[in-house]
Amino acid sequence: MQATHVRPAPVPVSFPALDMLRSERNLVGVHIASALIALTVGIFMGPFQAFHRAPAFAKTFIGQIPVFSYYYQAVTVHGVMLALFFTTLFIVGFSYYVVQRSLQRPIKGVRFAWVAFALMLIGLALLVFSLANDVQRSAVLYTFYPPMIAPAVFYIGLVLLVVGSWIAAFLVFWTYNSWRKDHPGERVPLAVFAIIVNFLMWFISSLGVAVEVLFMLLPASLGWIQTTDPQVARALFWFFGHPLVYFWLIPAYVSWYTMLPKQAGGRLFSDPLARVAFIMLLLFSIPVGVHHMYADPGVSQVAKFVHAFLTFTVAVPSFMTAFNIGASLEIASRNNGGRGIVGFFLKQRWNDPVVAAQLVGMLLFLAGGITGLMNASAQINITLHNTSWVPGHFHTTLGGGVTMTFFGILYWLLPMLRGRALFSKKAALAQAFTWLVGMALFGFSMGEAGLNGAPRRADLAAAPYISTEAGMWLNGAAIGGMILLVSVVLLFVNIIGTLFFSNKPVEVEAPIQTKVEEPSPAIFERWRVWIAIVVVLCLFAWGPVFAEVLDFNAGFNAIPYTTSGAPLR
Amino acid sequence: MHIDRYERYWLIAVAATLGAFFATLVATLVVFGVSLPSPAGRVDPQNLSASEFAQPSVRNVGGNRYEAHLVAKMWQFEAGEEAGSPPKIRVPAGSEVTFYVTSRDIIHGFQIQYHTVNMEVIPGQVSQATVKFNRPGVYQIVCNQYCGAGHAVMYGEVIVE
Repeated sequence: MQATHVRPAPVPVSFPALDMLRSERNLVGVHIASALIALTVGIFMGPFQAFHRAPAFAKTFIGQIPVFSYYYQAVTVHGVMLALFFTTLFIVGFSYYVVQRSLQRPIKGVRFAWVAFALMLIGLALLVFSLANDVQRSAVLYTFYPPMIAPAVFYIGLVLLVVGSWIAAFLVFWTYNSWRKDHPGERVPLAVFAIIVNFLMWFISSLGVAVEVLFMLLPASLGWIQTTDPQVARALFWFFGHPLVYFWLIPAYVSWYTMLPKQAGGRLFSDPLARVAFIMLLLFSIPVGVHHMYADPGVSQVAKFVHAFLTFTVAVPSFMTAFNIGASLEIASRNNGGRGIVGFFLKQRWNDPVVAAQLVGMLLFLAGGITGLMNASAQINITLHNTSWVPGHFHTTLGGGVTMTFFGILYWLLPMLRGRALFSKKAALAQAFTWLVGMALFGFSMGEAGLNGAPRRADLAAAPYISTEAGMWLNGAAIGGMILLVSVVLLFVNIIGTLFFSNKPVEVEAPIQTKVEEPSPAIFERWRVWIAIVVVLCLFAWGPVFAEVLDFNAGFNAIPYTTSGAPLR
Repeated sequence: MHIDRYERYWLIAVAATLGAFFATLVATLVVFGVSLPSPAGRVDPQNLSASEFAQPSVRNVGGNRYEAHLVAKMWQFEAGEEAGSPPKIRVPAGSEVTFYVTSRDIIHGFQIQYHTVNMEVIPGQVSQATVKFNRPGVYQIVCNQYCGAGHAVMYGEVIVE
């Protein structure tokens, strides 16, 4: 009897289109709320830095307003809060929401999801505490390269964030497995497919930074070890550092591939090729990290060539995305009555903040993708590395494509969480377009300043080496920062307005697909195969790098630690 | 699996473009001699006095060729000047200078504006780059890796005469 017993498939949970189940609202809500707290702490530091670096503005602020002497602290807060906490908390909350709704079943082991959330929230609190309490020693920026060492709470907070995200990853895998058992032979919806890719990549790559933090940085900050090797630490960090940017990007792609086509009034052009793109991101996002280390003395040119080649390879899925999403928007524009190239642009739903925000993100991301390929070209990189060109680039990718897509998601998700309509469509549209103008000006100006020799991450108000040209472009970046500040205020008008002052019912449905419309090969979901290829590629691309940076003859290099505030002269 | 005809063309165009980019990269490095920093030796940052960096200096090694040994520290490049003053390296136009740079304390950067010298300077490692200065002028050496409170005032000059 037992052998023939077949477990009946559970009745799918039906989620209301214009509302949320209570359990769903609580779990997703706390993640989005704490992501918004991190956003609030971090985002106002952005314009602050732009003013600090611009010759025309610096004199007005520095010395006049006391807080303006904390430049590197502001950079650290901006990077840690936005790039690490806002993104991770938002992505975990969004992933839970999409997985539950697409698979029509609750997240497995939901109490562990609350444990994970508690860990991440404590991590956030510890980071805020560290940054506020030990202002000097915490200013290690969000790349925290040794031998500069922050207080232990700084690292403990980061560990808790990563451990929380690992638990979230395993809950997503667990939920998928239980769905898989009930649906043999079926393809999983594309959104869930992409989220699985994202968490797999995140888990594998974060092992690098975990080793760095747990075995090098944290023991040093606790005084258990006295020495380190900064070249090894950089290799471990960048094993993780590049997949990190795809960890931010893939959820935005989830929105572009599975939500935007419907929101824009069309349909997705090709589901199977979207899956190919995600698999390529899984395979090629990790063995490319040395393109952040082209200027490192400890890594040979051969490894740099290999990673450069693989970096061009990982550009392919983004080109595929450009085609696939472009074609989907073409379908939408034709449905809306558009013809030709002009119609393609004009007949998009520019008056819908959810769509407009994502289109703005894409326009910025185009610039980010092209500048990214320039950075990947090692011979060009030598003139760009560590100049303000680099933040110019990643403010159009992370600060453009990813952030504006997340805001676009927020414009339908926040109303659903609150149970009220978006407070002001006009403010949301104004937010999107001011962000486009502000970030385009900021990115372009930072790029030009970098080409004229302005370094990144430097308190340039004090720098003796800034040329007139670079100074002019830094002023341009500050004007961009000012426009972005207006945009941020408009964002908060909608966040606060929707949470406290909106009294209309929810109007926009949850854009979730539960069905797969186009078949794709079964091999796409043979995860063991893909993981095995990832491991092989990593050994091939990173093995020689680690063999090189680890000094087996001299042992662990004896580099003493220091803190960022300690002057030696 | 169905692949649209236009998408096929697109993918071929993408592959060709990226292939051309990579070929350009290899050509600049191999044919035109642009080089990336690569392992040039290790030093003990606690014991620089026993190494080639004992006395940071710039010296002529024959003809128009120079060798510069510099030590980076918070927040200064040492090249044989008096303590506290940023280095001013004077070379005639047409000189070819090989820089060897290491760090005494934490990670620094070493970039020469408007030239293809841009390196991380990592304690324990020697960063090496060779550059030809053709045009007379004053070019700033910038520390472009964050190194603490005085990072923005860490610089030097190459004066090409």
